[in-house]
Amino acid sequence: MVTGTENHSPHRRNYAVMTLGWICVLLGLAILAGGVWLILLGGSWYYAPAGLGLMLTGLMLNWHRMDAVWIYGLTWLGTAIWAYWEVGTDWWAQLPRMLAPTLILILVLICIPALRRR
Amino acid sequence: MTRTLLIPLCLIALAVSDASLAQETQTPPPTDQTQTTPPAGTDTTDSDQPAATIEEDAATPDSPAATEGDADQPAAVAEEATPDTAAPEATDDTATAAEDDQPAAVTEETTTETTQTEATDSPATEDDQPAEAAGETTTDSAATTDSAATTDQPADAAEEAAEPSAAATEDGAADAATASDDTAGTETEAEGDTPSDAVAAAPQPEVGADWPFYGGDAGATRYSPLDQINRENVAQLERVFTYHTGDLPEGEAVGMYSPETTPLKVGDDLLMCSAMNVLISVDAATGEENWRYDPGVPNEAIPYGATCRGVTLYTDPEAAEGDACATRVIEGTLDAKLVAVDAATGAPCEDFGENGTVDLWQDLGERVPGWYAVTAPPVVVRGVVVTGAQVLDGQAEDSPSGVIRAYDVRTGELAWAWDLGAPEANRDGPPEGEVYTRGTPNMWTTAVADEELGYIYLPMGNSAVDYYGSNRSEQENEYATSLVALDATTGEEVWHFQTVRHDVWDYDLGSQPSLIDFEGTPAVVLASKQGDIYVLDRATGEPLTPVDEITDLPQGDVEPDYIADSQPISTWHTLRKPPLEEKDTWGFTPIDQLWCRIKFRQANYEGYMTPPSADKPWIQYPGYNGGSDWGSVAIDTERGIMIANYNDIPNYNQLIPRERADEMGLKPIDEVESRAGAPEGAGDPQTGSPYAINVNAGWRSELTGMPCSSPPYGGIRAIDMATGETLWDRPIGTARRNGPFGIPSFLPFDIGTPNNGGSVVTAGGLVFIAAATDNLFRAIDIETGETLWSTVLPAGGQANPITYEVDGRQYVMVTAMGHHFMETPVGDEVIAWALPEE
Repeated sequence: MVTGTENHSPHRRNYAVMTLGWICVLLGLAILAGGVWLILLGGSWYYAPAGLGLMLTGLMLNWHRMDAVWIYGLTWLGTAIWAYWEVGTDWWAQLPRMLAPTLILILVLICIPALRRR
Repeated sequence: MTRTLLIPLCLIALAVSDASLAQETQTPPPTDQTQTTPPAGTDTTDSDQPAATIEEDAATPDSPAATEGDADQPAAVAEEATPDTAAPEATDDTATAAEDDQPAAVTEETTTETTQTEATDSPATEDDQPAEAAGETTTDSAATTDSAATTDQPADAAEEAAEPSAAATEDGAADAATASDDTAGTETEAEGDTPSDAVAAAPQPEVGADWPFYGGDAGATRYSPLDQINRENVAQLERVFTYHTGDLPEGEAVGMYSPETTPLKVGDDLLMCSAMNVLISVDAATGEENWRYDPGVPNEAIPYGATCRGVTLYTDPEAAEGDACATRVIEGTLDAKLVAVDAATGAPCEDFGENGTVDLWQDLGERVPGWYAVTAPPVVVRGVVVTGAQVLDGQAEDSPSGVIRAYDVRTGELAWAWDLGAPEANRDGPPEGEVYTRGTPNMWTTAVADEELGYIYLPMGNSAVDYYGSNRSEQENEYATSLVALDATTGEEVWHFQTVRHDVWDYDLGSQPSLIDFEGTPAVVLASKQGDIYVLDRATGEPLTPVDEITDLPQGDVEPDYIADSQPISTWHTLRKPPLEEKDTWGFTPIDQLWCRIKFRQANYEGYMTPPSADKPWIQYPGYNGGSDWGSVAIDTERGIMIANYNDIPNYNQLIPRERADEMGLKPIDEVESRAGAPEGAGDPQTGSPYAINVNAGWRSELTGMPCSSPPYGGIRAIDMATGETLWDRPIGTARRNGPFGIPSFLPFDIGTPNNGGSVVTAGGLVFIAAATDNLFRAIDIETGETLWSTVLPAGGQANPITYEVDGRQYVMVTAMGHHFMETPVGDEVIAWALPEE
């Protein structure tokens, strides 16, 4: 994903960033909904807030706001702590927990040059 | 800065080395539910329960003391026997004697019970001889182990058999011939020395250069004394030949092939059957075909899968070499025939049944192709060939009988039948116009026989309807999921040992039991789908290792009065893992893992033995694929190490009320037009019971097709026979062929895949096994569990390998034929490897 510009123009829309933003919104909504369902079934409380974090990240990306990085960084960190708490160093068990969130983290970080600082 | 942090994290998440997963040296903790309540108390609640099994628990020395330290008790036994001792029997007689005291007392009780039944049943005419014989056998066998100086025939045979030379075997054959002449002539004389009067024990061929039985030796230990291929040189193995059977699925058989074939090797020949029961002889050194005989089995006869695990060889001790059918190859077919052909020529044995064929559909009722099919090699013992059959699961309560039948191995005449619904009345077949008791538990896997003792050990499955039990008869409840010992001469029951009470989980006994000498006692080793491994006294059925029970089990809402509230477990060794938790769900992303967590929380699950439910799904763990399935265990009797590969997969099941099942159009096999090769239990009608059943085998996610539970899905473990402790345990099967949406990942890591098929252990210190769904065939160091050699098979290797020798060269062999349920590619290859010739 190439952000394509060193120009931090606030008026310029970066469609790559917005695409990632929408993906994060949709995935975040799915995880938030499923997470609420899981809480109602008596299961883990991790997914609902993680989904919320991902969704907010997506919104911030759509607005080209640097908050996306901080929100997602926090979400990712929380995920890492939770995953280690749940399964420790069982790497096969870490795969579903950490692989995709880490890929998203990388993408979010790549977006930094296109984001607007406050 | 960020990237330098991230890359290692990514790599960590991905790069999983087998080292982190392998080499676990601890036995899993006993199930949480383990309690040791005095079984005698619980006994009264249910009259169906096998009293003998429970009582012996109370008498086992450790039960009263066991509070939480169940694991300690086997360890106590362990201390007495050093793990390094080569032969378990050589450990120490004193320890054995001390331990055996109490069980021995119980033994008497049980024997009395059994004898009593027999006595009341049979009038005291000629028939009481077998009963007497059974009693005497116990003492006989004890004597045999104590002193070699017995003069009776079985001991002779054993001694001679111990010598590997061909000459000795011939002598033995001659001896046996005379012996059987003698006994035939004088019935009265036979009393003391031979356990039964009909046929004396014949000397058994030895495993080594040959692989004369499905399980290697007569005791099915899957141990070979060959050591030319060893840990140092195994990496040099090269393919010597590939033989194609030519039997590949056509028409409606596509998607239904699971040949699971293991050849036998005798002399210069390999003898095998193909998926559709074509009998084949192949040169064992070159792979060139000697002959083939096609019994013409139609596709419609395929039950759950087109399977022929192997054939059985019988050499007539009275026949001269060169006589027609002096050595015969016998197989059971999918269309329910016993077929016998000459091992030298492939010509049908005309003296056996009708032109070499016995029709097993006789006395079973309406002939419905595919409902009743033989997939396992029959067993020859004391001059009879014994077979059960697979009765297609889950169809209807009114299904063909699970009767076990023995036929004269020369003539094919019915010698006896063991119909557990009417053992006395139907011993010589049902009365004119009637059939064997329908719907009774069957034996679809392979039995094992003790020729000397004259007993055959039958690993029984379940009644025709697996997941609902309230309509079952007393006898079905008594014998289902039991190991049953029959006197091979009379077909009368000697003892039985039940592994699941009121089984509604399809925990059929799938493994072939193995006969070993356990601390000086002739024993039978029984591995179950639940993972429990039992060691029983061959003569009495008494456990020689600690058996405990779990109590206060959940009863469920469907048939709470039927569900047993206690179950036996082996505290000596189990392959079963701790119960699942929500965090044990899996996926490739948080989303599919979340989906599986929701499914987990939606299901009924109260740990091991959660009863079936209809209001919502229930999780069955372990699933019906094991634990230990038909691949069975292999036992290195020299090193005292048992090798067990196992599955570690839950099933996600739900009962379907009859009305709903009718709406879905679920019908039994005798009412449907055609059948698709769906996994077993995926929408089975169970006609006659109030519920159909839907099984999601392996609990696969609807989103990705991936399992909802975490890997490893399969493992292989070495168990110290002296202590029952785990020596090593590791996942088996790499991730190379598996991935989301069925896409191969090509990852070389040992994820631990589902597996079907057993192993061979050799004096060379190697374990050869394919089994896993990664299509690899591998050699593992028996001491460390390390993979020393592996090769890619052209198709799934879901079969038991063998090893043999021709002209001083050792070969290892496995068939690569695929497996529909394991979702491996189909093939028709029989492949041999050996070290390069100099």
